[in-house]
Amino acid sequence: MIWVGWRQQRTETLIAAALLAALAAVLVPTGLTIASAFHDGRLAACIGHTEEGAGACGAAVQAFGARFANLSALLAWATVVPGIVGILLAAPFVLQLEQRTHRLDWTQSITRDRWIAGKLGLAIVTALAAALVFTLMITWWRAPFVRLQGRMGNSIYDSEGTVVAGYALFALGLALAVGAVWRRAVPALMVAFAGYFAARLFVDTWLRQRLVSPLTATFSAKGRGPDLSRAWVLSEHPVDRHGHAIEFIGCPRDAGACRVNGTTDYVQAIYHPASHFWPLQLVETGLFAGAALALIAFAAWWTHGHA
Amino acid sequence: MDMIEFHLEARSGVPTYLQLVQQVRQAVRLGVLRPGDQLPTVKAVVGSLAINPNTVLRAYRELDQEGIAEGRRGVGTFVREQPAPLPADEVKELRSSLQRWVARARAAGLDADGMAALFSDVVRPPAVTRVA
Amino acid sequence: MSAALQLEGLGKRYGTTWALRDCSLEIPEGTVTALVGPNGAGKTTLLEMVVGLSRPSAGRLYALGLSPDRDARELVPRVGFVAQEHPLHRGFTIAEMLRLGRELNPRWDDALARARIERLGLALGRRVGKLSGGQQAQVALTLALAKRPELLLLDEPVASLDPLARREFLTTLMEAVSDGGLTVVLSSHIVADLERVCDHLVILSQSRTQLAGPIDDLVAAHRLLTGPRSDPATVARVHQVIRESHTERQTTLLVRANGHVYDACWEIHPVDLEEIVLAYLGYAPAGPLREAVAG
Repeated sequence: MIWVGWRQQRTETLIAAALLAALAAVLVPTGLTIASAFHDGRLAACIGHTEEGAGACGAAVQAFGARFANLSALLAWATVVPGIVGILLAAPFVLQLEQRTHRLDWTQSITRDRWIAGKLGLAIVTALAAALVFTLMITWWRAPFVRLQGRMGNSIYDSEGTVVAGYALFALGLALAVGAVWRRAVPALMVAFAGYFAARLFVDTWLRQRLVSPLTATFSAKGRGPDLSRAWVLSEHPVDRHGHAIEFIGCPRDAGACRVNGTTDYVQAIYHPASHFWPLQLVETGLFAGAALALIAFAAWWTHGHA
Repeated sequence: MDMIEFHLEARSGVPTYLQLVQQVRQAVRLGVLRPGDQLPTVKAVVGSLAINPNTVLRAYRELDQEGIAEGRRGVGTFVREQPAPLPADEVKELRSSLQRWVARARAAGLDADGMAALFSDVVRPPAVTRVA
Repeated sequence: MSAALQLEGLGKRYGTTWALRDCSLEIPEGTVTALVGPNGAGKTTLLEMVVGLSRPSAGRLYALGLSPDRDARELVPRVGFVAQEHPLHRGFTIAEMLRLGRELNPRWDDALARARIERLGLALGRRVGKLSGGQQAQVALTLALAKRPELLLLDEPVASLDPLARREFLTTLMEAVSDGGLTVVLSSHIVADLERVCDHLVILSQSRTQLAGPIDDLVAAHRLLTGPRSDPATVARVHQVIRESHTERQTTLLVRANGHVYDACWEIHPVDLEEIVLAYLGYAPAGPLREAVAG
């Protein structure tokens, strides 16, 4: 069954590998350039001193960031790759159902259970392997930036740690579930991709910040508050001494920049510090992976019952 | 190399196995098949005609019963020694009595087809009876 | 002879419609059985249930003495199946299809498979999707035969093939049967093919079995009776009237004879297989129509 399952997903696996190879072809040379720029500019010494007005370090870091700003922005789009890979690896299964060749396999001497387990297992393993390769590549490429800014930034966070595996599995599971019921590959995979995209958007913009309770800090506007440089700041707004939000005429409530000099004494920040990285990652991964496993189990169960 | 090649007339109304039997009989009569020759294997016949092997087996069994061929297990089916042909004067006598009968039938108004029908009716009466 | 296939009151329902109903029959080992019937009569449904692709809604089914439902793991290796569209993995080469057979079947006979492919004149490196319909059907049959099944089920295997491909397919099939140890059930529309190749017949019509038995016996037992216009009641008392039709002066009856037909006023003719099948499928010749009296 292993050979059969592998051969039946050979084309899609090669496409996924080609995708990752293309990504690598962009990441490796540019990554080396970034790493050497970081090294040459001795920016390692500037870590922790990136606040404005810190003199030479501040300027150097700014220059570094500006130099690779476009590239960084481009790579932010790479976050769509795990989803594509997941959906791609669901294609062989769905195509087989569409062309009804699964019935050919089922009348060879193999039971439905073994067939389903073999094919889905192989797809899961491949998706995880792709996710791992992707994460390692991106993490290596982004390392200099992460050392300077931390990894809580939105476009960095979702390519690091374990969430990528969750995304790939979720895309795979969604495509399998939709495809098992609606046995037409092209529309099913498109619907799955739309669903994946919607889920990612929802989590990115609304749910993620609520997965773990953020910290709240109230501090004097004139003094130095907690170090928010590597944190994920959800909101920063002026408050009164007791921590109640103050509104300003003509100024939206949560606009951090709206500090009226002299009349505000305090600022309140709601944020996730850098130490929340792993808790957030694990909860989000658990969510996506959990949903993925439920979807995959559904796909297996439905396929088993419907020749 | 098989000595005989079978053919089938699908719409003749004659059962397949019987057609095979008749073709073997004819071949023996004409000397195409001689005593000791092996008839084509069941598989070979099946391969050339795409018929059910049981049909071939049935034909060969019939030939065995009629004494024309004999099956040797594990080897094949072989044409038997045929009983001696009729002595020449016996044949001559049969031929002249047949000629007399044909003359009588023609005088009575029977044409060639009618004679043939009557003949096959008598030689091999059909399985169904026509009740006049 | 034990039964290769035994159905007891078998039925399959999709929603509220019964695709197959109350089907009981026995198919002996070593026979080649024709499964005949119009589209939608339940032929495909029946075959799918035997091979385990769908589950019965009613009744019982035993293939080689086993239940496809409970004994799937033991039964599936011994049953071969070629579905109507003969599905094959179109992106695979022939060699890869054989490898699939080898990987998924414990009783796979690779030498047999390769020998058959070679006899067909097909190169192992060719993509299955690029083969003609007849060649694909042959590859599908090779796959099913190399599994060394004891029971082989074919669902309209030659329906979409040209006459040459059909003949080659049936030849391959008959050669496999002559090797022994194989029971074949094949569903088809083409009665002429069935007559050459099959020794048993099952007629399915309106989702029910109308007729089942050895072809020779069935052909010998059916007669066409013609005579002056009359009521078939007297005949019907002794024999089974399958189809009756009347003109102003003549009555024609197709009967399944229960012994000899003694009635003096009837002319008796033999009936060929195709006429028998048509009669059971409900065909009545043009004229004042009477309902076909099914078996």
